[in-house]
Amino acid sequence: MVTTVLLGLFVVIMAGYAIALGYAIVPIITKTLSEDDPINFLNGFLLYYFVVEFVLRYFMQNLPVLDIQPYLHLPVKRNYLVHFFLGKSVVHFLNIIVFFLFTPFALKVVANMYGFAIAINWLVAIWFFSLVTHFLVVLFKKKLDDTFLGLLIIVGLFSFLGAADYFGWFKLSEVSRKLFSITTKSYYPLAVGLLLLATTYWLNFRFFLSSMYPEEIGTQKRSDSRASYGFSFLQNFGVVGELVNLEVKLILRNKRPRTLLLLSIFLLLYGLMFYRGSTKEKIPDVLLFGIGIFMTGAFSINYGQFLFSWQGGHFDFTNTRPFSMRHYLESKYWLLSAVIFICFLLTIPYVYFGWRILIVNGAMMLFNMGVNVYIIMNIGMWDPQKINLSKGSAFNWEGVGAAQWLMALPLVLSPFVIYLPFSLSGYPNAGIFSLAMVGLAGIILHPYLLNRTAKRLLDKKYTIAAGFRKD
Amino acid sequence: MVSISNLKKNYKGYTAVDIEQLTISPTESFGLVGNNGAGKTTLFRMILDLIRPTEGEIQINGKNVQGNDEWKMYVGSYLDENFLIPYLTPEEYFQFVGKLHGYKKDDLQAFYQKFEALFNGEIIGKNKYIQDLSKGNLKKVGIAASFIGSPQIIVLDEPFENLDPTSQIRLKDLLHNERKQRTLSYLISSHDLTHVTEVCERTVILEKGKIFKDIRGSENALAELEEYFKG
Repeated sequence: MVTTVLLGLFVVIMAGYAIALGYAIVPIITKTLSEDDPINFLNGFLLYYFVVEFVLRYFMQNLPVLDIQPYLHLPVKRNYLVHFFLGKSVVHFLNIIVFFLFTPFALKVVANMYGFAIAINWLVAIWFFSLVTHFLVVLFKKKLDDTFLGLLIIVGLFSFLGAADYFGWFKLSEVSRKLFSITTKSYYPLAVGLLLLATTYWLNFRFFLSSMYPEEIGTQKRSDSRASYGFSFLQNFGVVGELVNLEVKLILRNKRPRTLLLLSIFLLLYGLMFYRGSTKEKIPDVLLFGIGIFMTGAFSINYGQFLFSWQGGHFDFTNTRPFSMRHYLESKYWLLSAVIFICFLLTIPYVYFGWRILIVNGAMMLFNMGVNVYIIMNIGMWDPQKINLSKGSAFNWEGVGAAQWLMALPLVLSPFVIYLPFSLSGYPNAGIFSLAMVGLAGIILHPYLLNRTAKRLLDKKYTIAAGFRKD
Repeated sequence: MVSISNLKKNYKGYTAVDIEQLTISPTESFGLVGNNGAGKTTLFRMILDLIRPTEGEIQINGKNVQGNDEWKMYVGSYLDENFLIPYLTPEEYFQFVGKLHGYKKDDLQAFYQKFEALFNGEIIGKNKYIQDLSKGNLKKVGIAASFIGSPQIIVLDEPFENLDPTSQIRLKDLLHNERKQRTLSYLISSHDLTHVTEVCERTVILEKGKIFKDIRGSENALAELEEYFKG
């Protein structure tokens, strides 16, 4: 119930942003950037937009495949069921988002220049391409998701586009501009878009028709990942090592935490976007901090949001087997700290953009390990919800409670509490130094802090266990 | 030995469990029966320190279970699927639990041998995750794991439910044999009166959280139980 409301709210907020953005595009392009040919300018970005849309859809869209399960044994034609399912998949916020984003531009700029009919032509052509993206994602998710080939295709495509840009074979923006500028001259693109749409629809139709079994189209295949993952060296660390190993298996073997892991690796590239300009002008510390916290803590924050929820399905096991809550917490502490450390190691190449970046990231790593880890643990105890691991990740609201929304705030704001007094009085470097020191203190004091946290957990375990037992 | 004194668990508006005094001796095989909502599982959960009692306490071998980790070394339990780790294979799960109890390879081998008949070739070496097992096989994995570490007390909730007839008989044999070899006490709840009276020497009827009847010996137990549940 609560999640439905939240989901609804989320959609409304998204729609609001999209409309606002749609209205903002017009003055941004015409006034702020003072482009003399705004339509050409925007057209150049459209293919990039579809790439972003593809990624967005990939993470946000869930296929309603299981909805057809109740009808499979009824005398309904299979063709009809597939059409029903594919039709139903179209009913999604993302499939009309282009109207929110581009209607203002179409009516204000395109219509002004080429007339109303062309404006509609332009808009509808974009919509068709958006729907083509939709059906491509559906097919991609079912056929190639979680496979090596799928990853290869994505990486290959991005590398190819990057190389094309770099070596000057062609520019994606140039292609995009030419492609969409046709819509301002003729109605053919509409026909082409429709044809593409029909083709992708047909491909989907064929695919689903030939695999109309819930086990084939429904949950992910489980034939893979039989191999014993996990790190055998962890066995040398006693119970805590075993518990860490168990959690590593949890992350690698279940789709949702695995997606989080990939996402976190992706977030490590965040720095590239911001640091690039740093050779010309100085980046404000505030921004450096934010990026540092996110890059070194990406996985810990993403995964830690649901710290206890991941294992909520077997919390009773945790409570009845011969290890203490302290062991349990300690395993989580080492797991999170190790990942933070690895993330820091991976950000070291950013030193290319300046030593200060390395120093700030190092301080943020210490702060994440020495302070934020405890914040994650303590907020995580607040009414965690169980996560059903066998369910996929996209738009899965399971496990999301109030605490998860609030958690991000203190994690990102806490470093500034320490830093700001120093920086306002003119000693920003001392601020960074004291951040690192506070983090270091938290790391050194970890036996004591873990004891405290374990005591809290021991006290709250009954409520938590009762919450996890609810379905 | 499990001893319960003045134990009460209140939920909003009703009392789930209300037991003044109950002692289960170290060699006793103790059965718990009662209709739905009688408080069987709640009682077991309190014994395993999964639910905080409103009043009173439970001692295992003279020590309060609450906030105490010691009893976990010698109490084995399987109440429901929350005791299993879905993303492990049964072997990995047994290994993991075994390690917590300091099992070596030989110990695990002996363990597999003991459960060979019950597993019936469907559990070990199948390369299946626990989450993909059938209900009956889940139960077998859970029950088997509760025997790891040779516990002195084993707590089982509805152990015969979902098992096929052959497995039910094999489980009964297993429970009997194990108790012949060492000092061991069972706490078993069941809706199956025949099974519970066959396995247990003492049966307690729970009604609305209270002990309604405490039947010792198994000769007339079945008849007495049937008499009660008819009403």
